[in-house]
Amino acid sequence: MTALDAPVPDGADLSALIARVAASRDRTAYAALFKYFAPRVKAYLRRAGMEGAEAEEATQDVMLIVWRKADRFDPARAGATTWVFAIARNVRIDHLRRRNSGAASTMPELDTEEHAPSAETLMLADEREERIRMALDGLTDEQREIVRLSFFSETPHAAISSALALPLGTVKSRIRLAMVKLRAAIGNDS
Amino acid sequence: MIRHHPTLETLLAHAAGTLADGPAVVVEAHAQGCPQCRATLDALDATGGQLLGELSPAPLEPATFERVLARLDVSPAVRPSPPRQASLALPQGTRLPAALRNAQIGRWFWVAPGVRYSRVRLPWAPAQNLMLLRVGGGRRVPHHSHGGMELTQVLWGGFRDGDDRYGPGDLGEADETTAHQPLADPEGCICLASLEGGLRLPWLTRLLGK
Repeated sequence: MTALDAPVPDGADLSALIARVAASRDRTAYAALFKYFAPRVKAYLRRAGMEGAEAEEATQDVMLIVWRKADRFDPARAGATTWVFAIARNVRIDHLRRRNSGAASTMPELDTEEHAPSAETLMLADEREERIRMALDGLTDEQREIVRLSFFSETPHAAISSALALPLGTVKSRIRLAMVKLRAAIGNDS
Repeated sequence: MIRHHPTLETLLAHAAGTLADGPAVVVEAHAQGCPQCRATLDALDATGGQLLGELSPAPLEPATFERVLARLDVSPAVRPSPPRQASLALPQGTRLPAALRNAQIGRWFWVAPGVRYSRVRLPWAPAQNLMLLRVGGGRRVPHHSHGGMELTQVLWGGFRDGDDRYGPGDLGEADETTAHQPLADPEGCICLASLEGGLRLPWLTRLLGK
Protein backbone atom coordinates (compact mmCIF):
# COMPACT_ATOMS: atom_id res chain seq x y z
CA MET A 1 0.00 0.00 0.00
CA THR A 2 1.38 3.39 -0.90
CA ALA A 3 1.23 6.37 1.42
CA LEU A 4 -1.58 7.78 -0.66
CA ASP A 5 -3.78 4.78 0.03
CA ALA A 6 -3.18 4.79 3.78
CA PRO A 7 -6.42 5.57 5.56
CA VAL A 8 -6.56 8.91 7.34
CA PRO A 9 -6.79 8.19 11.07
CA ASP A 10 -9.90 9.41 12.85
CA GLY A 11 -10.07 11.04 16.28
CA ALA A 12 -10.19 7.77 18.19
CA ASP A 13 -7.19 6.43 16.23
CA LEU A 14 -5.18 9.57 17.00
CA SER A 15 -6.07 9.42 20.69
CA ALA A 16 -4.98 5.79 20.82
CA LEU A 17 -1.67 6.69 19.13
CA ILE A 18 -0.98 9.43 21.69
CA ALA A 19 -1.79 6.96 24.48
CA ARG A 20 0.76 4.52 23.04
CA VAL A 21 3.43 7.21 22.96
CA ALA A 22 2.61 8.09 26.57
CA ALA A 23 2.56 4.48 27.77
CA SER A 24 5.65 3.07 26.06
CA ARG A 25 7.43 5.82 24.10
CA ASP A 26 6.23 3.96 21.00
CA ARG A 27 8.09 5.43 18.02
CA THR A 28 5.93 3.67 15.45
CA ALA A 29 2.86 5.31 16.94
CA TYR A 30 4.75 8.61 17.06
CA ALA A 31 5.63 8.31 13.37
CA ALA A 32 1.94 7.88 12.54
CA LEU A 33 1.05 10.92 14.65
CA PHE A 34 3.79 12.88 12.95
CA LYS A 35 2.57 11.91 9.52
CA TYR A 36 -0.94 13.14 10.31
CA PHE A 37 -0.23 16.20 12.40
CA ALA A 38 3.06 17.75 11.24
CA PRO A 39 1.81 18.82 7.77
CA ARG A 40 -1.43 20.19 9.25
CA VAL A 41 0.40 22.04 12.00
CA LYS A 42 2.72 23.52 9.40
CA ALA A 43 -0.28 24.58 7.29
CA TYR A 44 -1.73 26.26 10.38
CA LEU A 45 1.51 28.08 11.17
CA ARG A 46 1.90 29.23 7.56
CA ARG A 47 -1.62 30.63 7.59
CA ALA A 48 -0.81 32.33 10.88
CA GLY A 49 1.86 34.34 9.07
CA MET A 50 5.06 32.33 9.53
CA GLU A 51 7.56 32.14 6.70
CA GLY A 52 8.75 28.74 5.49
CA ALA A 53 11.84 28.30 7.69
CA GLU A 54 10.14 29.59 10.83
CA ALA A 55 7.05 27.47 10.20
CA GLU A 56 9.30 24.45 9.74
CA GLU A 57 11.14 25.08 13.00
CA ALA A 58 7.92 25.78 14.90
CA THR A 59 6.35 22.60 13.51
CA GLN A 60 9.28 20.65 14.93
CA ASP A 61 8.77 22.38 18.29
CA VAL A 62 5.08 21.41 18.30
CA MET A 63 5.82 17.79 17.46
CA LEU A 64 8.48 17.60 20.18
CA ILE A 65 5.96 18.79 22.74
CA VAL A 66 3.54 16.12 21.51
CA TRP A 67 6.25 13.57 22.31
CA ARG A 68 7.22 15.04 25.68
CA LYS A 69 3.75 15.76 26.97
CA ALA A 70 1.90 12.75 25.61
CA ASP A 71 1.34 11.59 29.18
CA ARG A 72 -0.55 14.82 29.88
CA PHE A 73 -3.07 14.07 27.15
CA ASP A 74 -6.45 13.06 28.55
CA PRO A 75 -8.94 11.89 25.92
CA ALA A 76 -11.79 12.48 28.38
CA ARG A 77 -10.94 16.18 28.38
CA ALA A 78 -10.15 16.94 24.78
CA GLY A 79 -9.86 15.27 21.42
CA ALA A 80 -6.45 14.69 19.84
CA THR A 81 -6.73 17.50 17.31
CA THR A 82 -7.93 19.88 20.05
CA TRP A 83 -4.93 19.00 22.19
CA VAL A 84 -2.49 19.48 19.32
CA PHE A 85 -4.20 22.72 18.27
CA ALA A 86 -3.66 24.14 21.79
CA ILE A 87 0.02 23.16 21.65
CA ALA A 88 0.46 24.66 18.16
CA ARG A 89 -1.25 27.88 19.21
CA ASN A 90 1.03 28.24 22.21
CA VAL A 91 4.15 27.55 20.15
CA ARG A 92 2.94 30.17 17.66
CA ILE A 93 2.54 32.72 20.47
CA ASP A 94 6.02 31.89 21.78
CA HIS A 95 7.58 32.31 18.33
CA LEU A 96 5.80 35.63 17.86
CA ARG A 97 7.19 36.85 21.17
CA ARG A 98 10.69 35.83 20.20
CA ARG A 99 10.31 37.52 16.83
CA ASN A 100 9.06 40.72 18.43
CA SER A 101 11.61 40.87 21.22
CA GLY A 102 14.47 39.66 19.04
CA ALA A 103 15.68 37.59 21.97
CA ALA A 104 15.57 34.03 23.13
CA SER A 105 12.34 33.11 24.81
CA THR A 106 12.23 34.00 28.48
CA MET A 107 8.89 32.32 28.75
CA PRO A 108 8.74 29.03 30.57
CA GLU A 109 7.46 26.38 28.24
CA LEU A 110 3.79 27.13 27.85
CA ASP A 111 1.56 24.65 29.56
CA THR A 112 -1.44 23.57 27.61
CA GLU A 113 -3.57 21.84 30.19
CA GLU A 114 -3.34 23.81 33.36
CA HIS A 115 -6.92 23.96 34.44
CA ALA A 116 -8.31 21.29 36.66
CA PRO A 117 -11.11 19.80 34.62
CA SER A 118 -14.64 20.43 35.78
CA ALA A 119 -16.89 17.39 36.17
CA GLU A 120 -18.86 18.67 33.21
CA THR A 121 -15.74 18.83 31.07
CA LEU A 122 -14.90 15.23 31.89
CA MET A 123 -18.28 13.97 30.80
CA LEU A 124 -18.70 16.01 27.71
CA ALA A 125 -15.44 16.02 25.73
CA ASP A 126 -16.69 13.63 23.03
CA GLU A 127 -20.15 15.07 22.93
CA ARG A 128 -18.79 18.62 22.80
CA GLU A 129 -16.60 17.87 19.82
CA GLU A 130 -19.54 16.31 18.00
CA ARG A 131 -21.74 19.33 18.74
CA ILE A 132 -19.03 21.68 17.49
CA ARG A 133 -18.63 19.71 14.30
CA MET A 134 -22.37 19.97 13.69
CA ALA A 135 -22.50 23.65 14.60
CA LEU A 136 -19.65 24.42 12.18
CA ASP A 137 -21.51 22.50 9.48
CA GLY A 138 -24.56 24.65 10.19
CA LEU A 139 -22.75 27.90 9.44
CA THR A 140 -22.98 29.63 6.08
CA ASP A 141 -19.83 29.50 3.95
CA GLU A 142 -19.11 33.12 4.84
CA GLN A 143 -19.53 32.51 8.56
CA ARG A 144 -17.34 29.46 8.42
CA GLU A 145 -14.64 31.48 6.69
CA ILE A 146 -14.97 34.15 9.38
CA VAL A 147 -14.45 31.57 12.13
CA ARG A 148 -11.57 29.99 10.23
CA LEU A 149 -9.84 33.34 9.72
CA SER A 150 -10.46 34.24 13.38
CA PHE A 151 -8.45 31.18 14.39
CA PHE A 152 -5.86 31.12 11.67
CA SER A 153 -4.89 34.70 10.84
CA GLU A 154 -2.28 36.84 12.50
CA THR A 155 -4.61 39.84 12.13
CA PRO A 156 -8.12 38.37 11.91
CA HIS A 157 -10.05 41.61 11.41
CA ALA A 158 -7.92 42.76 8.49
CA ALA A 159 -7.91 39.26 6.97
CA ILE A 160 -11.69 38.92 7.21
CA SER A 161 -12.15 42.39 5.76
CA SER A 162 -9.98 41.65 2.73
CA ALA A 163 -11.06 38.02 2.14
CA LEU A 164 -14.76 38.81 2.23
CA ALA A 165 -14.58 42.39 0.90
CA LEU A 166 -16.20 43.74 4.04
CA PRO A 167 -15.53 47.21 5.44
CA LEU A 168 -13.42 46.91 8.64
CA GLY A 169 -16.22 48.57 10.58
CA THR A 170 -18.63 45.70 9.93
CA VAL A 171 -16.16 42.87 10.62
CA LYS A 172 -16.75 42.95 14.36
CA SER A 173 -20.50 42.54 14.02
CA ARG A 174 -20.05 39.73 11.47
CA ILE A 175 -17.76 37.87 13.86
CA ARG A 176 -20.36 38.35 16.55
CA LEU A 177 -23.10 36.94 14.31
CA ALA A 178 -21.05 33.85 13.51
CA MET A 179 -20.20 33.38 17.18
CA VAL A 180 -23.86 33.67 18.20
CA LYS A 181 -24.61 30.75 15.91
CA LEU A 182 -21.80 28.75 17.50
CA ARG A 183 -22.74 29.88 20.98
CA ALA A 184 -25.40 27.26 21.60
CA ALA A 185 -22.94 24.53 20.68
CA ILE A 186 -20.13 25.86 22.81
CA GLY A 187 -22.35 26.32 25.83
CA ASN A 188 -21.99 30.04 26.41
CA ASP A 189 -25.35 31.57 27.17
CA SER A 190 -24.27 34.94 28.46
CA MET B 1 -21.40 34.49 42.00
CA ILE B 2 -19.65 35.73 38.87
CA ARG B 3 -21.85 38.09 36.85
CA HIS B 4 -19.45 39.78 34.47
CA HIS B 5 -17.42 37.80 31.96
CA PRO B 6 -15.14 38.60 29.04
CA THR B 7 -17.11 39.02 25.81
CA LEU B 8 -17.25 36.03 23.51
CA GLU B 9 -15.11 37.94 21.01
CA THR B 10 -12.39 38.34 23.63
CA LEU B 11 -12.56 34.65 24.58
CA LEU B 12 -12.36 33.80 20.87
CA ALA B 13 -9.25 35.96 20.45
CA HIS B 14 -7.70 34.30 23.52
CA ALA B 15 -8.41 30.80 22.18
CA ALA B 16 -7.07 31.79 18.77
CA GLY B 17 -3.88 33.16 20.35
CA THR B 18 -4.38 36.64 18.91
CA LEU B 19 -5.10 38.47 22.16
CA ALA B 20 -2.15 40.58 23.33
CA ASP B 21 -0.13 39.17 26.25
CA GLY B 22 -1.43 41.66 28.83
CA PRO B 23 -5.16 41.08 28.26
CA ALA B 24 -4.46 37.36 27.87
CA VAL B 25 -3.13 37.20 31.45
CA VAL B 26 -6.25 38.97 32.76
CA VAL B 27 -8.53 36.58 30.85
CA GLU B 28 -6.53 33.64 32.24
CA ALA B 29 -6.90 35.02 35.76
CA HIS B 30 -10.65 35.24 35.20
CA ALA B 31 -10.99 31.79 33.64
CA GLN B 32 -9.08 30.17 36.50
CA GLY B 33 -11.94 31.19 38.78
CA CYS B 34 -14.83 30.87 36.32
CA PRO B 35 -16.02 27.38 35.29
CA GLN B 36 -18.33 28.87 32.64
CA CYS B 37 -15.54 30.68 30.81
CA ARG B 38 -13.26 27.66 31.18
CA ALA B 39 -15.92 25.55 29.48
CA THR B 40 -16.25 28.15 26.72
CA LEU B 41 -12.48 28.26 26.21
CA ASP B 42 -12.38 24.44 26.08
CA ALA B 43 -15.11 24.50 23.45
CA LEU B 44 -13.28 27.17 21.45
CA ASP B 45 -10.12 25.07 21.61
CA ALA B 46 -12.16 22.19 20.25
CA THR B 47 -13.33 24.46 17.43
CA GLY B 48 -9.71 25.24 16.65
CA GLY B 49 -8.94 21.52 16.73
CA GLN B 50 -11.75 20.75 14.34
CA LEU B 51 -10.50 23.43 11.92
CA LEU B 52 -6.90 22.20 12.25
CA GLY B 53 -8.04 18.72 11.23
CA GLU B 54 -9.69 20.17 8.11
CA LEU B 55 -6.60 22.03 6.86
CA SER B 56 -4.92 20.83 3.69
CA PRO B 57 -1.56 19.40 4.74
CA ALA B 58 1.45 21.59 3.88
CA PRO B 59 4.54 19.85 2.49
CA LEU B 60 7.37 19.38 4.99
CA GLU B 61 11.05 19.58 4.21
CA PRO B 62 12.38 16.10 3.44
CA ALA B 63 14.35 15.61 6.67
CA THR B 64 11.86 17.10 9.12
CA PHE B 65 10.92 13.80 10.73
CA GLU B 66 14.58 12.75 11.14
CA ARG B 67 15.42 16.13 12.68
CA VAL B 68 12.62 15.75 15.22
CA LEU B 69 13.64 12.13 15.97
CA ALA B 70 17.15 13.37 16.72
CA ARG B 71 15.75 15.80 19.27
CA LEU B 72 13.38 13.40 21.03
CA ASP B 73 15.85 12.34 23.69
CA VAL B 74 17.36 15.74 24.34
CA SER B 75 16.14 17.17 27.62
CA PRO B 76 14.32 20.45 27.29
CA ALA B 77 15.99 23.58 28.61
CA VAL B 78 15.53 24.19 32.31
CA ARG B 79 12.87 26.61 33.34
CA PRO B 80 13.99 30.11 34.23
CA SER B 81 14.05 30.99 37.89
CA PRO B 82 10.89 32.43 39.42
CA PRO B 83 10.39 36.15 38.85
CA ARG B 84 10.83 38.90 41.43
CA GLN B 85 7.60 39.57 43.19
CA ALA B 86 7.23 42.28 45.81
CA SER B 87 5.31 41.03 48.81
CA LEU B 88 2.24 43.17 48.56
CA ALA B 89 0.20 43.52 51.72
CA LEU B 90 -3.03 41.89 50.60
CA PRO B 91 -6.19 41.40 52.66
CA GLN B 92 -6.23 38.12 54.51
CA GLY B 93 -7.26 35.20 52.35
CA THR B 94 -6.46 37.03 49.11
CA ARG B 95 -3.96 35.44 46.80
CA LEU B 96 -2.69 36.61 43.47
CA PRO B 97 -4.08 34.59 40.56
CA ALA B 98 -1.98 31.68 39.33
CA ALA B 99 -1.92 33.45 35.95
CA LEU B 100 0.59 35.90 37.51
CA ARG B 101 3.07 33.28 38.73
CA ASN B 102 5.65 34.11 36.07
CA ALA B 103 5.16 37.89 36.22
CA GLN B 104 7.35 40.40 38.02
CA ILE B 105 5.32 42.39 40.50
CA GLY B 106 6.41 45.75 41.86
CA ARG B 107 5.55 47.36 45.18
CA TRP B 108 2.57 49.62 45.69
CA PHE B 109 2.94 53.21 44.46
CA TRP B 110 0.67 56.07 45.34
CA VAL B 111 -0.98 57.50 42.21
CA ALA B 112 -3.93 59.49 43.52
CA PRO B 113 -5.67 59.91 46.88
CA GLY B 114 -6.74 56.41 47.93
CA VAL B 115 -5.41 54.82 44.76
CA ARG B 116 -2.31 52.63 44.68
CA TYR B 117 -0.71 50.94 41.74
CA SER B 118 1.70 48.03 41.35
CA ARG B 119 3.36 47.46 38.00
CA VAL B 120 3.02 43.91 36.70
CA ARG B 121 5.74 43.13 34.20
CA LEU B 122 5.61 40.10 31.94
CA PRO B 123 9.23 39.12 31.22
CA TRP B 124 8.13 37.74 27.84
CA ALA B 125 6.19 40.89 26.92
CA PRO B 126 7.66 43.77 28.93
CA ALA B 127 5.88 46.52 26.99
CA GLN B 128 2.42 45.33 28.00
CA ASN B 129 0.56 47.71 30.26
CA LEU B 130 -0.55 45.50 33.13
CA MET B 131 -1.06 46.51 36.75
CA LEU B 132 -2.60 45.78 40.09
CA LEU B 133 -4.78 48.59 41.41
CA ARG B 134 -5.82 49.09 45.00
CA VAL B 135 -8.59 51.60 45.48
CA GLY B 136 -9.65 52.71 48.95
CA GLY B 137 -13.22 52.37 50.20
CA GLY B 138 -15.61 54.77 48.48
CA ARG B 139 -12.87 56.25 46.29
CA ARG B 140 -13.28 56.87 42.61
CA VAL B 141 -10.77 55.92 40.00
CA PRO B 142 -10.08 59.21 38.17
CA HIS B 143 -12.40 59.71 35.22
CA HIS B 144 -10.77 58.24 32.17
CA SER B 145 -11.21 56.81 28.71
CA HIS B 146 -8.90 54.49 26.77
CA GLY B 147 -7.11 54.27 23.48
CA GLY B 148 -8.04 50.57 23.32
CA MET B 149 -9.36 47.68 25.33
CA GLU B 150 -9.31 47.75 29.13
CA LEU B 151 -9.84 44.53 31.09
CA THR B 152 -10.32 44.64 34.86
CA GLN B 153 -10.51 41.49 36.96
CA VAL B 154 -11.68 41.98 40.55
CA LEU B 155 -9.45 40.10 43.00
CA TRP B 156 -10.91 41.46 46.22
CA GLY B 157 -13.70 43.82 47.21
CA GLY B 158 -15.58 45.41 44.38
CA PHE B 159 -16.62 48.53 42.51
CA ARG B 160 -19.57 50.11 40.78
CA ASP B 161 -19.44 51.38 37.24
CA GLY B 162 -22.68 53.14 36.40
CA ASP B 163 -25.45 50.66 37.21
CA ASP B 164 -23.17 47.63 37.21
CA ARG B 165 -21.53 46.19 40.29
CA TYR B 166 -18.36 44.16 39.99
CA GLY B 167 -17.39 41.75 42.75
CA PRO B 168 -14.63 39.18 43.26
CA GLY B 169 -14.17 37.06 40.14
CA ASP B 170 -15.94 39.53 37.83
CA LEU B 171 -14.21 40.85 34.75
CA GLY B 172 -15.08 44.26 33.33
CA GLU B 173 -14.37 44.96 29.69
CA ALA B 174 -14.23 48.51 28.36
CA ASP B 175 -13.02 49.84 25.03
CA GLU B 176 -12.23 53.13 23.34
CA THR B 177 -15.93 54.01 23.34
CA THR B 178 -16.14 53.83 27.16
CA ALA B 179 -15.45 56.82 29.38
CA HIS B 180 -16.00 55.99 33.02
CA GLN B 181 -15.18 56.69 36.62
CA PRO B 182 -15.59 53.49 38.63
CA LEU B 183 -16.45 53.84 42.33
CA ALA B 184 -14.93 51.42 44.83
CA ASP B 185 -17.16 49.61 47.33
CA PRO B 186 -16.99 50.75 50.98
CA GLU B 187 -14.35 48.10 51.80
CA GLY B 188 -12.25 49.04 48.78
CA CYS B 189 -11.14 47.06 45.78
CA ILE B 190 -8.09 45.26 44.41
CA CYS B 191 -8.04 44.59 40.67
CA LEU B 192 -5.76 43.24 38.01
CA ALA B 193 -6.06 45.43 34.92
CA SER B 194 -4.63 45.55 31.43
CA LEU B 195 -4.72 48.65 29.27
CA GLU B 196 -4.17 48.95 25.57
CA GLY B 197 -3.42 52.17 23.82
CA GLY B 198 -2.80 54.15 26.96
CA LEU B 199 -5.06 55.91 29.39
CA ARG B 200 -6.76 59.21 28.65
CA LEU B 201 -7.21 61.32 31.71
CA PRO B 202 -8.99 64.59 30.98
CA TRP B 203 -8.20 65.94 34.48
CA LEU B 204 -4.49 65.29 34.01
CA THR B 205 -4.53 66.91 30.58
CA ARG B 206 -6.19 69.97 32.08
CA LEU B 207 -3.74 70.02 34.95
CA LEU B 208 -0.81 70.02 32.55
CA GLY B 209 -2.44 72.78 30.52
CA LYS B 210 -2.50 70.80 27.31
